[in-house]
Amino acid sequence: MKRLYLSLVVGAGILFSVQTTSLAQGDYPTLSQLTQRLQAISGSGSAAKLSSLTKTEGGKDIWVLKIGKGEIDNKPAIAVVGGAEGFHVLSVELAVQFAERLIKEHSDILDRTTFYVFPNMSPDAYEQYHAPLKYERRGNTSKVDHDRDGRVSEDGYEDLNKDGLITLMRVESPTGDYTPLESDERIMVKADISKGKKGSYLVYPESRDNDKDGKFGEDLTEGIAFNRTLTYKFPIFTPLAGDYAVSEKESRALLDYLFDQWNIFAFVTFSPANNLSAPLKYNAADAKKRIVTSMLEKDVAINSMVSGIYNETVSPKAFNQSNQGTDGDFFQWAYFHFGRLSFSTPGWWVPEIKGDDGKSISNAEANFLAWATEKGITDAFIPWASVNHPDFPNQKVEVGGIRPFVMYNPPYEMVNDIAKEHTDFIIKLAEMSPKIEFHNLQTEKLGNGLTRITVDLYNNSPLPTHSEMGEKSRWLRKIRVDISKDAKDLVSGDKIKLLNKLGAFEKTSLSWIVKGSGAVDIKAGAAHTGIAILNVKL
Amino acid sequence: MKIKNWIYTAALGAVISFTGIQQSSAQVAQDRYFRAIGTPHNPKVQVSWNRYHTNLALEEIMKDMVKKHPDLVKLESIGKSYQGNDIWVLTVTDFKTGNAEEKPAMWIDGNIHSNEIQGTEFTLYTAWYLSEMYGELDFITQLLKDKTFYIAPTINPDAHDNFIKEPNTLNSPRSGMIVLDNDGDGLAGEDPFNDLNGDGHITMMIRKSPTGRFIKDQMDPRKLVPVAADQQGEYEMLGFEGYDMDGDGQVNEDGVGYYDPNRDWAWNWQPDYIQRGAWKYPFSVPENRVVMEFVMKHPNIAAAQSYHNYGGMILRGPGAEEDLNTYNATDIRVYDAIAKKGEEFMPGYRYLVVYKDLYSVFGGQLDWFYGGRGIFTYSNELMTSYLYFHQNAGRGNQDEQMKVDTYLTFGDAFVNWEEYDHPQFGKIEVGGFKKNFGRLHPGFLMEQDAHRNSSFTILHAFHTPKLSVMDVKEKDLGSGLKEITAIIYNERLIPTHSSQDIKYKIERPDYVSISGAKVVAGFVVENEDFNKVKEQKVNPEKIEVENIPGMGAVKVRWIISGNGNYSINVDSVKGGKANWKK
Repeated sequence: MKRLYLSLVVGAGILFSVQTTSLAQGDYPTLSQLTQRLQAISGSGSAAKLSSLTKTEGGKDIWVLKIGKGEIDNKPAIAVVGGAEGFHVLSVELAVQFAERLIKEHSDILDRTTFYVFPNMSPDAYEQYHAPLKYERRGNTSKVDHDRDGRVSEDGYEDLNKDGLITLMRVESPTGDYTPLESDERIMVKADISKGKKGSYLVYPESRDNDKDGKFGEDLTEGIAFNRTLTYKFPIFTPLAGDYAVSEKESRALLDYLFDQWNIFAFVTFSPANNLSAPLKYNAADAKKRIVTSMLEKDVAINSMVSGIYNETVSPKAFNQSNQGTDGDFFQWAYFHFGRLSFSTPGWWVPEIKGDDGKSISNAEANFLAWATEKGITDAFIPWASVNHPDFPNQKVEVGGIRPFVMYNPPYEMVNDIAKEHTDFIIKLAEMSPKIEFHNLQTEKLGNGLTRITVDLYNNSPLPTHSEMGEKSRWLRKIRVDISKDAKDLVSGDKIKLLNKLGAFEKTSLSWIVKGSGAVDIKAGAAHTGIAILNVKL
Repeated sequence: MKIKNWIYTAALGAVISFTGIQQSSAQVAQDRYFRAIGTPHNPKVQVSWNRYHTNLALEEIMKDMVKKHPDLVKLESIGKSYQGNDIWVLTVTDFKTGNAEEKPAMWIDGNIHSNEIQGTEFTLYTAWYLSEMYGELDFITQLLKDKTFYIAPTINPDAHDNFIKEPNTLNSPRSGMIVLDNDGDGLAGEDPFNDLNGDGHITMMIRKSPTGRFIKDQMDPRKLVPVAADQQGEYEMLGFEGYDMDGDGQVNEDGVGYYDPNRDWAWNWQPDYIQRGAWKYPFSVPENRVVMEFVMKHPNIAAAQSYHNYGGMILRGPGAEEDLNTYNATDIRVYDAIAKKGEEFMPGYRYLVVYKDLYSVFGGQLDWFYGGRGIFTYSNELMTSYLYFHQNAGRGNQDEQMKVDTYLTFGDAFVNWEEYDHPQFGKIEVGGFKKNFGRLHPGFLMEQDAHRNSSFTILHAFHTPKLSVMDVKEKDLGSGLKEITAIIYNERLIPTHSSQDIKYKIERPDYVSISGAKVVAGFVVENEDFNKVKEQKVNPEKIEVENIPGMGAVKVRWIISGNGNYSINVDSVKGGKANWKK
C-alpha cells in the first residue's frame, strides 16, 4: 500500500515535468493523452483552471485552460489557440507545451498577465492522425453535403491501396493535365500550357466517383472545418464551411466564451497562416471601405514591431510563408471582428533547401522531399504503385504521394525546441501588455476645504491600450476613470470618465476639484489594460 | 410587367369565377349578423381587430383557433426566447389534403422589433382569416389545399410584452431583453429610461430656460414649436424621461441591449463597428436562432414576409449596395410583379428597395431568407400617416398628429404637460405622445390595414410554384422502343429555385421520375423543335432538373422499352409534388 502510494507521487512528478512529458513521447499525443496532460497542468493548487466549453458533434471536449493569479479577470490577457486545423497536430502540442512551460518556468508573468489556452479547436479532425485510416482532415463530425447535390458525403476518400493512408492517385491519360516535375519525378505538377507543354496524367485525391458525377473526393465524409466557419470573409456554401457562419457547437462555444472575457488584448493562434514572420500588408483602399479588409495602418505598425520580436526569438528563417489568412479563419476573425491584436504562425515550416545548383527549390513539395532526404526521413513519400480502380477499368491508375501530415508537422523530436522558442515569444508579448499607471500626483489646497487633484494617467507599454481596430469595436471596453467622491462634492471633474485609448507610452492629465477632507480613491483602466488604483489624501 | 399582371389577374379571376355567388342563408347568421363582404361575419374564433394582444391573449386566441379548426390549424412552440417564453408558430393548411411539409409554403412573422407590435396582430389576422374562410370561399379553400402557411405572430415575445407592460417610448425596446453594456463603461443596463410620472409611457422632458429655442403654441399648448432665428424662446428640450442613475453625466444612455435582432442574420453579416446593432455572430440572438432552425427544417418555404413598422412600404433586398449582384434580373422580375400588384390594393404603401430607398443594412432578416435560403421575401413596413387623412404629411408630422388626436382620438394619444421636480434638472415638465401612437395603428385603422397586408401575403403565397405534368407524348421508335416526352408546368410566378438558389445550389434539384417502365436513356429537353437534349447518364429514370421557372415549363424525355403502363412523378422541395399516370 505504502509502495503504491509512493509510486503514484512519482508518477505525478513525471506528469508535471515538462522535459519528461515531451521526451518520453515518441509521437504527437492522442486526445486522451492530451486530456491527461491538461488535467496535470491544472491540478489542485495550480494557477491553471481547466474547463470544457462544450462537446463537439463527435463527443470531444473543447478545453480551455484559464491561467492566472489574483484578479485574473482584470489583468490583460493573451489567448493561445491550437488545433485551428485538425491536420496541424503540431499546433495542439505547441499550445499545450506553452501552458506547461508557462506554469513551470514563467509563472512570474502571471502577476501581470492572464492567459487563456484553447489547446485544440478541432478534436474531431485531430483524431484522424491516430485513426487506422490517416489523412489530413479539417472537418468535424457534422453531416454536411459539401458539393450540395442533395446527397450527403457520398464521395469521400477511399483507401484504394489499403495502406491506411490517403494520398493521391494518378491516372495515365492522353487528356490528362498533369505531368511529373522534372527535378523530382515523384511529384505531379500541372503541365505548363503557356510553354506548349501537354500533360499525361489526371491527378485526384485517393478516392472513387461513387455518384458518377465525374468528380473525385468532392463530398468528404468529414463536416465543418473550424478554420473556415468564422464570420470574417465567411466562404458561404463552399465545402467544409457550410450554410452559415459559426454553425458548429465548438465555434459557438468558443465565441460565446470569448465575448465574456473582456481582458484579452492579444491572440496567438498556431495555424497555417503567418503574420509573425512578416506583418500583414496595409492597403489604404481596403482599409477605408465600409467592410474593412485590410489591417488598419497603425495596427500594421504594431504587427511589424511584434514580427520583429518574433523573428529575434524564433530561430528558423521564414520560407514559403505566403499564407497570411484564408476566408473564414480564426486568426483574422480575432482582429477584424473581435478587435484584438491577432497573431498567427504555423510554428514550423519546411526550411529552404538549396538544390545542386545552389538555388532554392521553387516547388514546395520538392523542397520538402529534399529536406526529408537531408534529415534521413525515408518514408516521406509513398511510391506510386498500381491499383485496380473500378472507375477507370482500362486505364493505369497508381496511388502514391507525400505521406499525410509530414509537410505540416515536423518529426516529434523537433517539437521541444519549437515549443520553447514560441513560449519565449509569447512571454515577451505578455511583457508588452498595456499597463495603466498613475504618475505625478499633485494635491493643491485651494482653501475653504477645496482641493485640486491633478494626476497623469500613463500607459507604460509599447502597445496602445486599444489598437486602431479595437477603438472601433464595442468588444474592447473603454478606459474608465472613477473617483470615490459623491458628485455633489465634485466642484469640477467627472465622477465617471471614459477614455477611448492611450497610445504606446502615452499619458493624459486628469484633474478634479473636490470638497472635504479625508481620502479619495481614483481608479482607472479596463479589464484588458489592467486597473490602477490611487489613494489620495486630501 | 403588363403581361405578368394580366396572367395573375386571369388566374385569380378564373379561380374566383368557379365560386359563383354564394347567395344563401349562411350570410345571415343566427338571425343576428349579415355579412359585410370580405369578412367572416360569424367566425368560430372571436377576435377584436381593433386592439393589441399580450402574449397571454395571443396564446388563448391561437389555442382557440386550433380547437375550432383542428383540420386547418396546428400550433407548436418552435423554441424558447431568452427569457424562456415560447415562440409559437401556427401552421395553417388543409391537413386533410396532402402533407403540410411537402406543399409550397409561406412564412410570415411579426414583431422582430419589439415596439413594432402590429405585425403580431396582422399575422394573427391572416391565420384567422384563412381558417375562417376555408370552405366559404373556393379561392381560400383551394389555396389551403395547395399551400402551407407558417405564421409566427411574434418572434420576440419577451420584448413584445415589455413594450406593452413596461414604461417605454414609441421606439423602445428595439432589441429583445438581453441587457448589454451600451455605453462601454463595463456595466450593463445601469441607466435606462425612468418613468418619472408613472404613467407607463416614456414621454418628453422640457424645461423653461431663457436660452430655450421653443415656445408652446398659443393655439394648442400641447405643441412645442421652434421660434424664429431672431426670436427668444421659452423652453428647452431635455429628451426622453429619465435621470442620470450612475453619475456619469448622461441620461438614459444604457437601457436594455443595444443590439438589433434584424442585424443578426447570416447573409453578409457584419460586426457592430460596420453594422451598428449586430451582436456576436449570426443567430447569436436566441429567438432568431429558433426561427433559423425552423426555416432550415422546412425547406418547402418558398416565400416569406416579415412585418415591421413604420412607413407604408413593401421592401425587398438587397439590404446593402455590396449585395447588388445577389439579386439578379430574373428574380427581380418576380419581386416586381407581386409587389407592384400589392401597391395597387394597399393605398399609401410603396414598393421600395432597402439599400437604395432606405439605408444599408447588413445581416438583415430578409437578406438571409433570400440570400441564404433562396426564398422570395418581402418586409412590409406597416402603418403610414397616409392612412389618417389620405395625405402624405410625412413621418412624425406634429401638426397632423395633433389634428388626429383632436378630431379622431379626442386626446387619447397625448399626455398633457405636467410639472415635475427632477433630481438633476430641477423643475421640468413631462408630457408628449404616448408610446402607442405614431408608429402603431390606432384601433379604427387596424382591421383594414391588417386585411390589405394579409391579402398581399395571400397573393405572395398564391404565387409559390404550382406544378403539374401538363402533357405527355409518346413516339414509337421501333425495335420495341418508345420515346416519352413530358412537360412539367409551373402555373405561378415563383420558380422552384430562385436564381440565388441555383447559383449556390441551396436546395437540391427537382426530380422528375418515371416508374413502371424500363428506361434506356433519359434527357432534359432543351429545345424540342430542334431536338437539343441533355442526357443524364446516371439514374436516367430520375431526371434532375435545376429549376422549373415561374409561368414556364421544363421538358424531360425518356427512351423506354416495353409496353406497360407507367407513371411520372414530380418531386420539388419548394414546388410540391405532381404526378401523372398512364
